[in-house]
Amino acid sequence: MATPPAAGVDLSPAATDLGRVHLLPCGIRHNSAAAVSDYFKPRDTGVEVDGIRVEEAFFRGRKLQGATVALPDGYRGYVLEKKNGEKDTQGMDGDVSSFVSRAEFQNITYWNHDTMPSAEDPLPRCFHWLTIANAMHKPVTAEDMENMSAMQNRNS
Amino acid sequence: MAVVATAAPEWATKEPCLMGIDEAGRGPVLGPMVYGCMYCARSYQNTLATLSFADSKTLKEEQREELFESLKTNSSIGWEVDVICPKVLSAKMLKRTKVNLNEISHNSAMGLVKKALDMGVLLAEVYVDTVGDPEKYRVKLAEKFPGIKFVVAKKADSLYPVVSGASIVAKVTRDRAVRNWAFDETAQNMHMNTGSGYPGDPNTIQWLKDHKHPVFGFPTLVRFSWGTCTPYFKNGVEVTWESDELDEDEASNGSAKRQVKLSSLGFTGFKRKSEEIESSGKARCKFFQARKLELVRKFQ
Repeated sequence: MATPPAAGVDLSPAATDLGRVHLLPCGIRHNSAAAVSDYFKPRDTGVEVDGIRVEEAFFRGRKLQGATVALPDGYRGYVLEKKNGEKDTQGMDGDVSSFVSRAEFQNITYWNHDTMPSAEDPLPRCFHWLTIANAMHKPVTAEDMENMSAMQNRNS
Repeated sequence: MAVVATAAPEWATKEPCLMGIDEAGRGPVLGPMVYGCMYCARSYQNTLATLSFADSKTLKEEQREELFESLKTNSSIGWEVDVICPKVLSAKMLKRTKVNLNEISHNSAMGLVKKALDMGVLLAEVYVDTVGDPEKYRVKLAEKFPGIKFVVAKKADSLYPVVSGASIVAKVTRDRAVRNWAFDETAQNMHMNTGSGYPGDPNTIQWLKDHKHPVFGFPTLVRFSWGTCTPYFKNGVEVTWESDELDEDEASNGSAKRQVKLSSLGFTGFKRKSEEIESSGKARCKFFQARKLELVRKFQ
């Protein structure tokens, strides 16, 4: 099977290092800049859940409760923008796009509508996958094999 | 809800008292709703009737301000207010499990009664301007506070001087709160020529036009849960909430529009583009579903 052509993603350092990125619990049919810092005013509640500080903010009349999660070491968040007006020359699929990084971030504040943030929320749990993926894909060493068989012998 | 308290006067803890409760700013699309109460000893009732309190709506603003100031310095009268911010009103009415305005009003009034009791005021009778059905409301209050006689009536503010007094406390507090409003928002060119806040007021309509925002709707001075706001949101950016979908699911078969589809942003997973899957982890094992992790195979 032919590998589909990879999209071009330009991750060269963006001008903006976003102080904060917010993930809201609603669909917003808007795909460009907005005056976030003028209207969206998170406030510390002084409450902590699972060791995370809970913040409070309001959007469109709803009360939101949020928590800030740092991206794991070695990972970085990017805000990508699809490049327009550049016809792709690779031709194979004809619809390969290129993206350019507009901003970067190191943590995400995700917001719940009416529920307290907790370690059980989908977003913080996403990062479990990184640990599992690492464990699954790490090459097995001779030493690992020895340990495994030693354990099996002990159990039998 | 912040209840601003003055300490209970000595007489109030020794003599049976009567209290009046009234609200200001229930109808307007913006600003806080204020519940106010006033209380005095039963023996002061006749003097109170001579103090020319009247329903706050029939008085001019300066008269109300004057009466409030004289009421504050009158050592035979006690009072309290509960200021419910528009943010709190909107948030409660737009919760996943919605709290309606009547319930918010009842809770505020009960909060004032409780506050007075906690301060040691010997409440014997409480007169309340009704919200909703007077008899149902009276039963609710009587069950919550056995031993207090409740009188719940329409236009109680023009029938009982103690309620007229409460209406002045509430109205003046509400007017001052709106007058001295400090915006949370830092957008440019905001002003406070709000008019009365009632939907028919041309100044209010102009204010709403001046302060609408396609993404954020309005500053948090506005009560987003008011029907008055709906046409403004229709012209703005569409925002969809999970809790609204649950409501609509009953009627229509709920066109799932919770998230902007990943595919419309140029990401495609294993499924064909036409299936427009959401970032839901749908059709993957539970581990991914619980984390809403979708496999993105290529960018396009």
